[in-house]
Amino acid sequence: MFGNPSFRKGAGDAVLILIAVGAFGVAYGVLAVDAGFSQALTLFSSAIIVSGAAQFAMVGLLVAGPVPIFLAAVGLGLRHLPMSARLADIIGPQPLLTRIRLAFILVDETFGLTIRAFDAGVEDPVAYKTAADLMLYTGWIIGTAAGAWFGSSIDPGAAGIGVLFGLLFLGLAAPMVKIRRDWIVAGVSVVATLIATNTLPVAWQISTAAFAASLVGLAIDE
Amino acid sequence: MNDLALVLGVAVITFSTRVAFLLRPRAAPEGRIGRFLDVFPLALFIAIATSGLVAPWGSPELIANLAGALGGVIGGVLFRRSLWGVLGLGAACFYLARALIG
Repeated sequence: MFGNPSFRKGAGDAVLILIAVGAFGVAYGVLAVDAGFSQALTLFSSAIIVSGAAQFAMVGLLVAGPVPIFLAAVGLGLRHLPMSARLADIIGPQPLLTRIRLAFILVDETFGLTIRAFDAGVEDPVAYKTAADLMLYTGWIIGTAAGAWFGSSIDPGAAGIGVLFGLLFLGLAAPMVKIRRDWIVAGVSVVATLIATNTLPVAWQISTAAFAASLVGLAIDE
Repeated sequence: MNDLALVLGVAVITFSTRVAFLLRPRAAPEGRIGRFLDVFPLALFIAIATSGLVAPWGSPELIANLAGALGGVIGGVLFRRSLWGVLGLGAACFYLARALIG
């Protein structure tokens, strides 16, 4: 696997993600311990959930109890449904364990990289995504541990990490804008997100906006 | 409910949504679902970018964020939609605006 050119390309392309996700991991580690999680549970949560959005929502809603947290997880998870369908389409028939492994780290960042690489003609999307996933997972775990154990002396927000993360997704979306329909979908997504931000609970904003813009794109196709 | 059960619950929900279409190999969706899946990643990534760059109303750094977003769009146009072009120019505009605003 390590000698596979697609694997090496995935690892190289994901270096930036390792850094960015690592910084967010630090922020999560700081917040989770601050919210009352033990350091070990904070690290364990990153190891088995592997979802920045769901984990930030979890610690943010900790005082509200389990129901809002589970609802938030469902709301945030809705976006994974079309992502998993698209990934299944890309990887084709694969052993069950491979599909489960790829699903375990089906996150926005490496999904975006994989889609981009697939569109560019990468030879082995499974090896590519595996490498990108390993990079992301490494950054997320190390970042979380650093935040949980040494967080009091670190301030990721001061470095403007949130903006870099937004720009990362803008950069991932850029090559996908090819035809008039794509411009319209992007524009509708911006407007829908702004509306959702002011009208919906945090957990539902991104999923709702993305679904709404996709439906508009579907209507344009027809 | 203790914190460990909470973490496990969130993990189960998250993994369930991720594995939904990967558990059993199926034919690629066609028709309306296929076209929906075609545009969904773009809509999702723009929504996430907007949420991080433009939507945080009341943030003291909103103007710097907007400068970063504008720089990112210009970087995408100038550098043929390269990821690094978007990130590089976007980050440069953000940090410059933040320094100017103070």
